[in-house]
Amino acid sequence: MTAMTKVKGLATAASFAATLLVGGVTYASADEVKLTMVGPDWPPMRIMKKFFDEQYKPASGNKVTLDIDFIPWPDFYTRVNASLTSGEQKYNFAVSDSQWLGAFIEGGYFRKINDLIDADPELKATMDSMHPAIVNAYSTYPNSTPNYYGFPQFPDVLVTYARKDVICDEGEQAAFKAKYNEKLPCTGEELDNMDWNTFAHVGEFFQRKKGDKLAGQVLDDDFYGIAYQAGKGYDFSTSSVHSFVWQHGGGIWDETKAPTGHAEGVVNSAKSIEGMDHFMSMLKWMPPVVKTGTMDIFVSDQLFREGKVAMNVDWIGLGEASLDPKTSKVADKLVFGMAPGLRGADGKINRTSQIGGQPFVLTTWTTDAQIKEAVGFVKWWLSPEIQHQFAAAGGQSAITSVYTDPKYVTYRPWNRAWANSLDWQKDMWHVPQFFEMLTQQQDQYDLAITGKQDAKTTMNNVAKFQEDLLKNAGLIQ
Amino acid sequence: MTAASHSLPAPLFTAVVAHNWKLAIAVAVVVSAISIAVLPAALSFWVVGVTATLVAAAFTVNAYRRHYFGALLVAPAIAVLFVMNIFPLLWSLGLSFFAYQANQQTIRFIGLGNYARILTNDLAANATWSALINTAMFVVFTVSAQMIVGFLLAILFSKQFPLRKYLLILVLTPMMLSVVASGVFFTYYYDPTFGILSYVINSIAGDQFILMSTKVGAVTGIVFADAWMWSPFVMLLVLAGLVSVPKYLYEAAAIDRVSRWRQFWMITFPYIRGLLMLALLFRTIEAFKLADLVILLTKGGNDTLTISYHLIRIANEQNKTSEGAAISYLMLFMVIVLTNLYLYLANRRTLGA
Repeated sequence: MTAMTKVKGLATAASFAATLLVGGVTYASADEVKLTMVGPDWPPMRIMKKFFDEQYKPASGNKVTLDIDFIPWPDFYTRVNASLTSGEQKYNFAVSDSQWLGAFIEGGYFRKINDLIDADPELKATMDSMHPAIVNAYSTYPNSTPNYYGFPQFPDVLVTYARKDVICDEGEQAAFKAKYNEKLPCTGEELDNMDWNTFAHVGEFFQRKKGDKLAGQVLDDDFYGIAYQAGKGYDFSTSSVHSFVWQHGGGIWDETKAPTGHAEGVVNSAKSIEGMDHFMSMLKWMPPVVKTGTMDIFVSDQLFREGKVAMNVDWIGLGEASLDPKTSKVADKLVFGMAPGLRGADGKINRTSQIGGQPFVLTTWTTDAQIKEAVGFVKWWLSPEIQHQFAAAGGQSAITSVYTDPKYVTYRPWNRAWANSLDWQKDMWHVPQFFEMLTQQQDQYDLAITGKQDAKTTMNNVAKFQEDLLKNAGLIQ
Repeated sequence: MTAASHSLPAPLFTAVVAHNWKLAIAVAVVVSAISIAVLPAALSFWVVGVTATLVAAAFTVNAYRRHYFGALLVAPAIAVLFVMNIFPLLWSLGLSFFAYQANQQTIRFIGLGNYARILTNDLAANATWSALINTAMFVVFTVSAQMIVGFLLAILFSKQFPLRKYLLILVLTPMMLSVVASGVFFTYYYDPTFGILSYVINSIAGDQFILMSTKVGAVTGIVFADAWMWSPFVMLLVLAGLVSVPKYLYEAAAIDRVSRWRQFWMITFPYIRGLLMLALLFRTIEAFKLADLVILLTKGGNDTLTISYHLIRIANEQNKTSEGAAISYLMLFMVIVLTNLYLYLANRRTLGA
C-alpha cells in the first residue's frame, strides 16, 4: 500500500460517509414521508395502524407511511426510555404514559406543540373539542398549565366490572338486603350509584369458602367479593391509593404549586392518611394473592375472568379479554358501571380518580416535512369519523362530540360509564423525578398492603422522601 | 516465526509505507483531533472511524510482514472484546465519578460522590445495604441448596439403573428453560388461588396457605425456584468428576476393606474437588447477580430486593446512570474479592493435600 492508495482509500471512505449523510437529507425532503412511531403491542395500537394503512389519505398529496414498533407492555417503558435517552432519534412519535411527560420533555426529546396549535385552526379546534381532564393529563407539562405536548392515543379510566349471574341472583339479593338493609347493586345504573361502603359490603358478603353455596350453586373453590389493584409493580397500587386520597380530601404533591407547595403536610395530612386507611380496609375481602403484594391490574383481571370474584375495579383497556369467551369464563355474565366513590354527607358521591391511558407525543428531531404530515395524521386520527370507528373497534375517545353521541354507548358495555367518569379524572405528577417518587411510594404502599406498617407511618415516609427529593431538585423551596 | 520477525527492520518514523504503524497513529490522532474540533459531530464521527481503520490496517500489514500470525489470529477477538467489553467497562468506571443522568443533558464531575452517596447517604445507603444483605442471604441459601441437591443427584446418576438416560434428560430440562418461563411457572405454582401448592396444603391443613406473604416464605419460594433450575448444572459438573474416577481404585480399596466413607474421602473427593470448586464459583457469581426471579416472583416485596434488582431500578428505570455505574463497580469489586478468596482457599487446600 503506497501513500497514494492510502489517500484514495480515505477519499472513498469520505465520499461514502458523505453519501450516507446527504442521502438522509434528500430522503426527508422528497414526496415520500415516513413517520415512525413506538407504541405498546396491544389492540388500540394495532387498530391505529390498521386504520392508517386502510384509510389515511394525506391532504398534501404526499405518500405518507406510518411505521409502528410494537413493544410488549412489560418492556415498554424500558425500550422507549432506552431509545430516547440513547440519542438514536429513531421515532417521530412515542406513545407515553402521562407521567413520563416531564422526564422526556426535560431531556429534550418531546416537542412542544403550542406553535403547531396556534398555526393551525383545525388542530386548535380538535384540541378544544377534547375533554379538559384528558388534555390536562395527556398534554400538559407542568401538569395543567397551557404548555401542550401530546394527543390522546387510548384514553382510559377505572370502571367496575361485575358478574350479573352472582349479584342479580334473587336469593343473594334477598340475603344482602336482610344483612345490610340496602339493595345489592345489579344493573349498570345501580353500580354507578355504588359507594365504597356498599362495595365493602359486597366484599364481605361474597367471601365464600369451597363447598359454600353461591347463587344457588355449590362452589368448588373459594370465592371472593371484590378486587382492585394493590400490587407492588409499576403504579399498581398508586392508581388506587391516589383515588382514595383525593376522595377523602387529601392530596399528593401538587406540581402546579411548585416551588412553594410542599409534600410534607399534604401527602401525610390527616385526610390523606384517612384515604390510605380506607384503601387498606377492603383488602381483607380480596383474593389472598393481595397479601403477597402482587395484586396488579393483570392479576385482578385474570381472577375476574376466571370467575373467582364478583366485582373488580380495573382499567377499560383490559376489558376486551373479559368479553371474549375464549379468554373469559364470565363473558356472557357481565355488567359494567362507574368505579365506586366516597359518599359525602350531602349524599353525593365523590369519584375523583387517577386517570389511565396514554397520549402519543411528537419528538424534537422530527423534520418540518414530517411535522406537516404528522399534524395531518393527528387531525385525521382525532376526527369524529375515525374516533367513532376506533371506539366501535374497542377504543375510547376523548372527543366530546364523539362520546356524547347516543351511538357511543352501544359500542361496548362499559362505554355507558365513560362520559360521566371523565369529569372526575386527575393525574399524578408529570415531573422528571416521577419514577423515583413512584418507586419509593410503591415500596411503601406495599409494606402497608402486606401488613408490615400502618397507614400513618407509610404516608409519613412517602412525604419525607418526596420533600427531600423535590427540595434537592429545586421543586420545593 | 520469531526468527523471521527479526529480519524486517522497523521503518523510519517518516517513511510512508503500509506497515509504519507509528506514523499511522500519529496521523490518526492529528486528523481526528482536527476533525473533532472543526467538523460537525455527524462528519467527525466518520473521520475518526476511518482513521481508526487506517491504524488497524497498518498494524495488520505490519504483523503480516513480520509473520506474527498468532497475533493476527487473536486480533479480531481482542478487538471485539475491547469494543464490546473493555471500553464500556472503562467508560462506566469514568462515568461513576460524574453526576450524570441519561435523560438529562448536563454532566458534572463529583469525584467519589456517587460512592459516598450509595454507601453513606441516609436515604440511598439504607436501600443499598439492605439489598446487599438480601443478596448475601440469597447467595448462601441458593448456592448451598444447589450444591447439596446437585451433589446428591450426581451420586445417584453415577450409578447404573433402568431408565437412567431418560431420567437424566428430564432432570437437566429445568436448566435449559428460559428463566422467564420458569419464573412465570413458579408464579402460578405459588399462587394462592390458582396454584397447586396452596391447593394441596389447604386441603390437608384446611387453612388458607399463602407462601409468598412472609419474608421466610418469599425467600423459600425464590430459593426453591433457583435451586430447581440450577442444581442440574452442579450435578452435571460433579457427574463429570465422578465418572472419571478409575474403577480399579475402588477395587483395590475393596480388597483392603476400606469403609465406604473412607473410600469417598480418599478416592472420590480428590477427583471431584476441582469441579465442585468450579461449580461453587459459577453459582456464587450467578447468585450474586440474581434479579430475574425476584422481579418475576415478588417484585422485591417482602424484603427480597437484591442488589442487582436495585441496580436495575436505579440505572434503567430512574435513569440515574452514574449512580448505577457506582453500584455496578461496588458489585464488581465484591465479586472479584469473593472469587479470589475462593481460588485462594481452593489452591491452599490443594497444596495442603
